[in-house]
Amino acid sequence: MAKIYGYTGKALRVDLTNQAHKTEKINEAEMRGYLGGRGFNAKRLYDEVGAAVDPMSPENKLIFGTGPLVGTMFPTASRFNVSAKSPHRGILGDSNAGGHFAPEMKFAGYDQIILEGRSRSPVYVYVKDDQVEFRDASAIKGRTVFEADGFIKSEFGDRRVQTVICGPAAEKGVRYCGLFANQVRAASRTGMGTVMASKNVKALAVRGTGHVEVSEPEEFERMVLELEQEIREHEQYPGRMRMGTTRILMMANDAGFLPTRNYTSGVYEDAYMVSGERLAEEYNVKNRGCFACTIPCSRVYSVREGPHKGLHGEGPEYEALGSFTSRIGNNDLELALKAIDLCNQLGLDILTVAGCVGWAMELYEAGELTVEDTGGLELTWGNGEALLTLIRLIADREGFGDVLADGSVEATKRLGKGMDRTIQVKGMDLIMADPRGLKGFGLGYAVASRGGDHLRSEPFLELSDDPEIGERMFGVPESTLRLADRGKGRLVSYFEDWNAVIDSLEPCKNIMQNMMLLPFERAAEALEVATGLRVTPEEMREAGARIVTLERMFGVREGVSRADDSLPSRFRDTPLMEGASSGTVVDLDLMLDEYYAERGWDAATGHPTPDTLRRLGLGFAVTDLP
Amino acid sequence: MKRITVDAGRCAGCRQCEMVCSFHHTKKFSPETSRVTVIKDDRLGLDYPLMCRQCSDCPPLKACPTQAINREGGSITVDWQACIGCGVCVEECRYDAVKLHDGKALICDLCGGDPQCVARCPTGALDYSEAPEFSETPWDAFNRLKEEWGIHG
Repeated sequence: MAKIYGYTGKALRVDLTNQAHKTEKINEAEMRGYLGGRGFNAKRLYDEVGAAVDPMSPENKLIFGTGPLVGTMFPTASRFNVSAKSPHRGILGDSNAGGHFAPEMKFAGYDQIILEGRSRSPVYVYVKDDQVEFRDASAIKGRTVFEADGFIKSEFGDRRVQTVICGPAAEKGVRYCGLFANQVRAASRTGMGTVMASKNVKALAVRGTGHVEVSEPEEFERMVLELEQEIREHEQYPGRMRMGTTRILMMANDAGFLPTRNYTSGVYEDAYMVSGERLAEEYNVKNRGCFACTIPCSRVYSVREGPHKGLHGEGPEYEALGSFTSRIGNNDLELALKAIDLCNQLGLDILTVAGCVGWAMELYEAGELTVEDTGGLELTWGNGEALLTLIRLIADREGFGDVLADGSVEATKRLGKGMDRTIQVKGMDLIMADPRGLKGFGLGYAVASRGGDHLRSEPFLELSDDPEIGERMFGVPESTLRLADRGKGRLVSYFEDWNAVIDSLEPCKNIMQNMMLLPFERAAEALEVATGLRVTPEEMREAGARIVTLERMFGVREGVSRADDSLPSRFRDTPLMEGASSGTVVDLDLMLDEYYAERGWDAATGHPTPDTLRRLGLGFAVTDLP
Repeated sequence: MKRITVDAGRCAGCRQCEMVCSFHHTKKFSPETSRVTVIKDDRLGLDYPLMCRQCSDCPPLKACPTQAINREGGSITVDWQACIGCGVCVEECRYDAVKLHDGKALICDLCGGDPQCVARCPTGALDYSEAPEFSETPWDAFNRLKEEWGIHG
């Protein structure tokens, strides 16, 4: 058999209970079938974490996976996925982050690292090439992400050790805690930090001294040089370099889908005050980037005067910025920066915090929640001091913070009210785009394998509002009109497949998907010049569909069906009153019917059919159908 | 004299210079074989690429016990036949610009006059031109930028 490049071809399995480890091979069929990162993790999780496993038990597994392009000069190939059964709602947990952790995994010799069992004492796991150490973490138990990172690096006197860390909120059992690489690069969704803490592990630290080799160095270099030039010449380049994703905030406001006051409006009157433009003009001091990035779009900000003087940090990105501004009616940009920094230190997922706080504020403003419920906190729109207090209470699971620490759905159960005001799908609080202004995004939220989320599909082409693109690509002109419902099944399944490919090869989705730089054809070419594996563009897309469908089956095994592919009621029956997305609601049933037909899933149940499973090489999952 | 200079305020810390350097010299990717090393401080958000600066006195050249280190055609060269991997050069370099890999010293060779790290730096933090000798360390640069930008801790 010919040598396969790019991949390391190895997974490291770490047994926390017995402080043991072993290396396992990843074979060519797995590479062709599941590509890497997210795909590898989906398969591993499906095979090893069944429906009976409690997410907080030692039987759950925390799996880090990266892809064949990572650890090279392929632009933006820096990312990893971390997956487990989610403690947030018991379905697929999976989150993705950049920085410098993933290439270090490759240099240490691994495509995947699996943490299983539970340590008896607090440890962090240190992987140096083929050696694994279980190191005492009692000195950093309960410490912030930043403190723990500093401690670990100082233990080795080696700045090149790369870490992924959970914060003190995870150690308190808050269900939606993330994992943080390079301190602020968060794999924040679905509670992967909570799973790490449940295993009595504070961090995974990796240092690798090996190398990554590609199959065709000259062709690989040619492709990289082409991509670098295309990135620099792209129309989005200046805006991304200046603002990163925070450039979206004003765009979303202009288009009337900027979630404002818990999605009661799509327009925020003070949007400019909290915009990426204002951050760039008044606070940003330099750019920063993930590993091997051609368009380093992260920014370092510094607050040089006023009550928050001395506050500095990296980021924020749009989702966090919007979360603590328009979503809760707060027009104090510096206070939002403070809240974001606090969440990063404590290890919380900002979108879920904002989902819970926005929900509580709406209830409070409606008179359904009082200071008796909140322990004295006045949760009026935009009350920034209350936000900061509540973040600390959530992280400590104290008072009203404890009510919110399991997510908005669990909070409604504790309080016995407010379900109709939660903005979530499958228990996961939504991101920062109102689907009444982006119908395909709405469908994407409803069907996303990890719950309410845009990163599974992100069908940004509907923002073009250009019917010719829809006609050409999907045979339905309306598919690329953002306020139309027709054609979205085809649009969303295409983008889901594409994103599954990107998440598995592990470059940056912002660049390779949003900037249209790595379509299936080029992804297939990239895989070949990097690894030597030859796949057609059609096989590449099929791998994406296989990953999406296997993740769906993970959900089906946990009880997910069409009834769970829902959207909050206000998106389906209450139009927005102002702005460029007003006067329309989401026709979810029409879109779901199209989507299931496109996928080859049963329209009544939302389950993949046995034929579809077999066609995708997932015949092993047929017996798991209800 | 032409040399590579660093604008620390522009370095984004992406380490593409490390990837490009190792690929140019070995056709493989590894920070261990890169002659440039980016020093990073994630808390401050500051980064600094370290590589040979063509110092006129070059302590590693003077200290090398086997005369493996020389100056030829505007750059420092290492004769790997002569290099015994003793590491004296690593100790002697004021700027941590020498490393050992597989028992041989690695020093920037300016890619024969067209340094690839400079050509591929995405933010223009590196420049290759006639420039005076400079003695800024990463820590000097970080302190200067901390002061300038009001970032501490």
